[in-house]
Amino acid sequence: MAGAGGGNSDVQWCFSQVKGAIDDDVAEADIISTVEFNHSGELLATGDKGGRVVIFQQEPESKNQPQCRGEYNVYSTFQSHEPEFDYLKSLEIEEKINKIRWLPQKNAAQFLLSTNDKTIKLWKISERDKRPEGYNLKEEDGRYRDPNTVTTLRVPVFRPMDLMVEASPRRVFANAHTYHINSISVNSDCETYLSADDLRINLWNLEITDRSFNIVDIKPTNMEELTEVITAAEFHPNQCNTFVYSSSKGTIRMCDMRASALCDKYAKLFEEPEDPNNRSFFSEIISSISDVKFSHSGRYMMTRDYLSVKIWDINMETRPVETYQVHEYLRSKLCSLYENDCIFDKFECCWNGNDSVVMTGSYNNFFRMFDRGYRQDVTLEASRENSKPRSVLKPRKISTGGKRKKDEISVDSLDFNKKILHTAWHPLDNIIAVATINNLYIFQEKLN
Amino acid sequence: MECAFDAQNLISISLRKIQSSRTQRGGIKLHKNLLVTYVLRNARQFYMSKNLSQAQRTHQYEDVAAARERQEYLELTGSFTELADDFYCNFTGLESGNWHCGAHQPSGQPAEVAHQDASPCAMASPSDPELMVPEACWSCADKSTWELPMPNAQANQKTVLDLDTHVVTTVTTNGYFHSDCCAQPKQPQGAQCYAKKRKMDASYHIVDPEFYLPDFGPVPCKRMRTDDDTHSDSEQLGSTNISNLISVLGSGGLSDFVSWQQTDLEQIFATQTICLKHTLLTGSGWTRAIEAF
Repeated sequence: MAGAGGGNSDVQWCFSQVKGAIDDDVAEADIISTVEFNHSGELLATGDKGGRVVIFQQEPESKNQPQCRGEYNVYSTFQSHEPEFDYLKSLEIEEKINKIRWLPQKNAAQFLLSTNDKTIKLWKISERDKRPEGYNLKEEDGRYRDPNTVTTLRVPVFRPMDLMVEASPRRVFANAHTYHINSISVNSDCETYLSADDLRINLWNLEITDRSFNIVDIKPTNMEELTEVITAAEFHPNQCNTFVYSSSKGTIRMCDMRASALCDKYAKLFEEPEDPNNRSFFSEIISSISDVKFSHSGRYMMTRDYLSVKIWDINMETRPVETYQVHEYLRSKLCSLYENDCIFDKFECCWNGNDSVVMTGSYNNFFRMFDRGYRQDVTLEASRENSKPRSVLKPRKISTGGKRKKDEISVDSLDFNKKILHTAWHPLDNIIAVATINNLYIFQEKLN
Repeated sequence: MECAFDAQNLISISLRKIQSSRTQRGGIKLHKNLLVTYVLRNARQFYMSKNLSQAQRTHQYEDVAAARERQEYLELTGSFTELADDFYCNFTGLESGNWHCGAHQPSGQPAEVAHQDASPCAMASPSDPELMVPEACWSCADKSTWELPMPNAQANQKTVLDLDTHVVTTVTTNGYFHSDCCAQPKQPQGAQCYAKKRKMDASYHIVDPEFYLPDFGPVPCKRMRTDDDTHSDSEQLGSTNISNLISVLGSGGLSDFVSWQQTDLEQIFATQTICLKHTLLTGSGWTRAIEAF
């Protein structure tokens, strides 16, 4: 069966692992809210609604099974954010992790940024596999010795111990956002990063926590004149002066920080005219961009709105170069989706390592891949039924009308409570992480 | 007709979403509520375009008395805290099973008001330019000192969601609200009143959430609304601009979403104007309603 991935139309995807509880009774705190590979792909981080971060590490490839890439096992788990209460505004601040972004690795330790609605934290994840022994003034259990009993001196030495992974908060960037943070993005200079909320974007230095620079402010003087909010923001992967932010009106603005300190005036505005034939009560909602991602090359950027994925050439602002319909069959269901709030779901999207394939989630635990080169797309499903090790995923088809063929699923039978909002693609290999509500699925390319 | 019904259904659903967003954990979601207001605007435009053409055909020569009887509104009285408690406690978010096409049921005698005297406000039909709408000030009891507003030739319609019956009704108003009509508030017996005058204003004073921020670098000072802005803003009532839609939503509009806090109601009231109208039903006393548009 044909698949999509890696620029080769023959790629087939196999189930590898699933993490999380099996039972259907989902604890709200376990709902996965973000998924992110680090720059090497060795580590995979997830954040959940309970403020917890779980990091998985890929095992080295086994010599016994050269056909399989290493499995991901739990590496570290820590509580990143706790619920807080703003007493001044009588407002509870959720501990839900909105985004995780890894920093490029500089030494043995790993660093990541995690954020909830108001506060960003820099975490250091380090390994400890040896400990000092042979102190002169301390016993092995830590009790201090009476100095009068010391008759000889010795040099303490490091002895091996069981591997321990420590996560410690190194920086806390707080009190800079009035509105809810939706994005963080580390700059290619590895010194600064941006954080974006509904109306503002701030620039931080990773070393400095008590101040940040406001670089975008779209808050109107009169809030009654508010017409759009910022929905996502990201730095260019190579140009440290360039970043983009998307809006609820379906526009993307690219800004150059060299032009001025306050980047309210964009350098480029990417906007596609609305098709008047598709005008409905919900036109504004479905055109709101939920995610924006630069390609690894930096030449393209991808946006996700409710029904489609669009690829933009950063050199052309008038229209996207490619548009992929994720689930166009939902256009006639918008009223129901509005009623049950599904229309407000914010789907993310991601690129594969060489920018030839893009992926995004949908409902019924479906996720979609679009091969840009071969112009193919495939719908796959993340479910426990297909969770036999190395079982090949079968492409799914949705019946949009008329007679339903065998193995097709009708639109009316889709489960809108099962949604895939967060997906991630290994930066180098064909390994993907797909998050359902409370489970994390890992699929790999089938190797012959 | 079916599309008009869908539009009204959407309005009802949208208003409920806005209402329920205020009690959601994590605070009000600005993005989601902005999108909901867009749906409200679109549905309103569609609904009013259908309703207005129908109303013009059937109510061209409406009797003034019938118009008064058809709908009476009482101003909000009593303590703000008490009202806010009612506001939250009585809204169950149930689906509205039926809707009324504009005209409300006729009312008899005004219900007994436990709080301060308030004058009923009759809503004029769009075809009756001579009908004055006496709109009392929040704390004004001396009716003779009221300054009646000039009728606006361009009548507007208002959509009201009754929180008790979950009925959405559309009424017509004379176009803009009257602002201050008296200087000194009257303190009634046994009722808690606000000393500050209450403006019948479609707009409201915005509470900038940054007002509460500790010193953290330069924070732009946004201009607070003044009385001078009131009249100019009330003229925008007929506009389909989304900002105007936001400005007349329920208890304060979109900026209110950012600043609304359940437990600090007194502080909020001190800096913004709330306008809630009660619908008088025959013999049923008080109800609560969200007024939009």
